[in-house]
Amino acid sequence: MQPLIALVDCDSFYVSCERVFRPDLIGKPVAVLSNNDGIFVARSQEVKDLGIKMGTPVFQVQHLIKQHNIQLFSSNYTLYAELSARVMTLLEEFAPSIEIYSIDEAFLDLTGVCQNDPIAYGQRIRRTVLRATGIPVCVGMGPTKTITKLANFAAKKWKQTQGVLDLSDPVRREKLMRIVSVGEVWGIGSRTATKLNQLGIKTVWDLSKQPVERIRDQFNVVVARTVLELNGIACLELEEITPDKQQIVCSRSFSRRLTDFHELSQAMAEFCSRAAEKLRQQNSVTGCITIFIRTNLFNANESQYQRTASMRLDAATQDTRAIIATATRMLKKIFKTGYDYQKCGVQLSHIQPQLSPGQMDLFDFADNSLTTESRPLMKVFDQINRRFPKAISVAATGFDKPWKAKAELISQRYTTNWRELVFVK
Amino acid sequence: MSETTPNQRGGQRPGAGRKKGTSAYREATQAIRVPESILPSLKAILDARKRRFGQQTDNSAAIYFPAKTPVSIALPLFTGKVSAGFPSPADDYVEKTLDLNDLLIQRPAATFFVRVQGESMLGAGIHPNDILIVDRLIEPVSGKIVICALDGELTVKRLKRENEHWKLKAENSAYTDIVIHEELDMVIWGVVTNVIHAV
Repeated sequence: MQPLIALVDCDSFYVSCERVFRPDLIGKPVAVLSNNDGIFVARSQEVKDLGIKMGTPVFQVQHLIKQHNIQLFSSNYTLYAELSARVMTLLEEFAPSIEIYSIDEAFLDLTGVCQNDPIAYGQRIRRTVLRATGIPVCVGMGPTKTITKLANFAAKKWKQTQGVLDLSDPVRREKLMRIVSVGEVWGIGSRTATKLNQLGIKTVWDLSKQPVERIRDQFNVVVARTVLELNGIACLELEEITPDKQQIVCSRSFSRRLTDFHELSQAMAEFCSRAAEKLRQQNSVTGCITIFIRTNLFNANESQYQRTASMRLDAATQDTRAIIATATRMLKKIFKTGYDYQKCGVQLSHIQPQLSPGQMDLFDFADNSLTTESRPLMKVFDQINRRFPKAISVAATGFDKPWKAKAELISQRYTTNWRELVFVK
Repeated sequence: MSETTPNQRGGQRPGAGRKKGTSAYREATQAIRVPESILPSLKAILDARKRRFGQQTDNSAAIYFPAKTPVSIALPLFTGKVSAGFPSPADDYVEKTLDLNDLLIQRPAATFFVRVQGESMLGAGIHPNDILIVDRLIEPVSGKIVICALDGELTVKRLKRENEHWKLKAENSAYTDIVIHEELDMVIWGVVTNVIHAV
């Protein structure tokens, strides 16, 4: 039985999320902006048709925005994450195993599930997700992940497919591969595509017909695997369990430059808090903390300064207070006055699983006078914040947060906040 | 039998082997067995000790050491609960506590909450500011209260099939029925299952 994998991918996910509670925006040009409302990170089809590309700075296309009344939104990650979870929950019911690849994509193992009529099954998936959540998706099917990515691309691009395309059949696969350019293949970036073009390899079909050994020699093993995958030989498995993050990073650019140590340490404390929360969520402790601060490296007119510092901890911890204390200590060492800082961040590494509750640390070097009872405290801390988002935080993160990213166009948290539900008349 | 010369080949070279005191700890070491549960803590202490003697166990750029080394070490006593009671006759009958989620939400992934504005559905017991529980996977049939997008605006009405037509009816005499026809921009958003009304 040939394996059958499906890639289910949401259409312009962030935009689709905004449209769920704003049906008046369906069919209108809508886009979502990055942190600080700087650039386009998601565009509806109408915006794509206007020629505005991903990553375009907002100020560059103000005339188009006004002319076509493009509705702009700041990124509402809370909403997107919640809606994504719903989509994935629904998808789980369609396959015995599923790999959540990103916030809006998942691979489903459909081997043996729908041999009779995979297309009909794909349509059922589409209909169910759209009905239940309002998010439109496309389904690409094939014997390998790389082929499903191709199928998904074609399903989105060619409307006749009605959003579902199955490339299990080699004849149909060849027909499609001959008309798609090699740069559209998963894992082939623009540089590799250029090099392939120079060798006369222009279409996906051309690439699939290359001898694997030659490709491995001229490029690398990743591209070689891609050739195999395009020929129906699976090299990439479905990864069901996401391995615990080996590094947790939290960093942001500031909405305005910070010059004051106090403000910088507040921002750093906030990022430490968030990183520590993610750490506790995966039941890990960190053994090494790294921080960095920098000015705007792209502005030649400003004086430049950037520094990184790391500290190994004597005892691994997941306590926000210990992490903030360590980060602050390091910040004191690397901070210099007279610079306009644009960004800072923290990275937690040397991550290990936390000890089970029955075992206690013999010694606690975490910091000064912190008690060994930090685990129960952090547990309550997280519980309260889950129930009442952002209710409590460590004082070091400050009260007014001047460095917080601008998000002037953010929509309501329709699915996570009782005070921000959508109104119906 | 001739006297054999003592074998000068093989055997330990004099002065061979690791010198005493050249371990990562700069002193003689001894092997001991320890319970597995304290291994992580012990390893951390030993790593710290190694670092203090300048032997890094890992490569990291710019390592700053803690300014203070702890002077006193408090050994926590293990505290735990010991249950010493008698089994209760009720143990076999323990059930889960009543949970509103079980009562009100059949399919969490397809269930949303919306808030009511206006009085169009007063007659159905739906008041301004009430919260409606909406299930998007329930089939919208005649008689159901639905949320629909009418000209892009979300509204709550009762769906009714009357005389070969589908209608959206308000439950308030001040509002007229809306007949659904081809040109009408109307999409069903979900079916209302419960109303949460604070008194």
